[in-house]
Amino acid sequence: MPSDSPTTGLVAWWDEPASGPENMAADEVLAAEAVRLGRPLVRLYGWATTTFSLGAFQRFADAAAAEAVATLPLVRRPSGGGGIVHGSDLTYAVAVPREHPWGGEPQVLYDAFHEALVAELGHRGVAARLHPGRPPEADDEARLFCFDRRARGDLVVPGPAPDGHKILGSAQRRLKAAVLQHGSLLLAAPRGVAQAAAHPGLTDLFPAAAADGRDLATAWLALVAGAAGLRLEFAPAHFRSLHPAAIAATAERFADPAWLRRR
Amino acid sequence: MAAAPKFAKTHEWIRLDDDGLATVGISAYAVEALTDLVFMQLPAVGRTVKAGESIGEIESVKAVSDFYAPVSGEVVEVNAALPSTLETLGQDPYGSGWLVKLRPADTAELAALLDQAAYDALVKSQPH
Repeated sequence: MPSDSPTTGLVAWWDEPASGPENMAADEVLAAEAVRLGRPLVRLYGWATTTFSLGAFQRFADAAAAEAVATLPLVRRPSGGGGIVHGSDLTYAVAVPREHPWGGEPQVLYDAFHEALVAELGHRGVAARLHPGRPPEADDEARLFCFDRRARGDLVVPGPAPDGHKILGSAQRRLKAAVLQHGSLLLAAPRGVAQAAAHPGLTDLFPAAAADGRDLATAWLALVAGAAGLRLEFAPAHFRSLHPAAIAATAERFADPAWLRRR
Repeated sequence: MAAAPKFAKTHEWIRLDDDGLATVGISAYAVEALTDLVFMQLPAVGRTVKAGESIGEIESVKAVSDFYAPVSGEVVEVNAALPSTLETLGQDPYGSGWLVKLRPADTAELAALLDQAAYDALVKSQPH
């Protein structure tokens, strides 16, 4: 159990790789735990196999028709945003009670995580910045992949795209009592997918900056916590091992074809 | 004349109309906080809902949010044009940006909701 007081600690777990439905279920349970404990909680995790996650309202048919990802296991997130090929990224989920200062307007929590990574990458010699967002006529919603979209606050680094190369995108599910934010830090281009889905990652562009992804993530989260006056505390156990029954029950819903094909 | 709107803590407004139905929408504060709306899913007409139950979802560039029934009742009409004209929500949230019309199961449930002054105070207390 987290030992810090709810007002001073940011508790985080490193979880072992899991399937898409298991990861989405664990994050939903994380949100319930954040409400129960009255504090923000973070889960960092990988994926058991390369998986394509769709945003909450992206069209199933668009994923099925995309040759670059059509053969990958597919999961639909409860959060918004674009599709992500997971496998060479670091995925995080942060769950925050609605009454927490991070639970207000959506941009607040988004910026808390993204600004901290800009700072940490700056320490590592990478000129990362937050994208100002594209004008509405850019029609980013028609783009299948998250890393082809640009929203205000997306983290970009110098790279192939003229307006910056996106390596971190996040999106939220705003529940009645909690905000669940998902984010994906692209560490390297995913392997085994076609070029359209193989966006270069941080280590492809700046090999020295993220040689150890775990070290980068720890430093990043420490800055997130510090900027909010919190102390980062990594819990010793895996979050999924603490709530196996609730996660297994919730995973069934995320594995249900009706959820996958809801749109 | 229709009654003044009341508000749920989850930022929906509801107004009891002269015909006994209740019109439901999302407050201007909530719409503004969401920004850049891209998709909306409304409930099916004929669905029976309980107060506090999710009756639809709305997606902005950054977030997906549920919206909730302020009172129990039956969904008798939805603003079918709204998902394709989402800008209406921001332009006229208390008028043409309405979401659904409910036939309330018990209008006494309205008494548990916030009046304009109480809702304004709630908004002021929200984290920014």
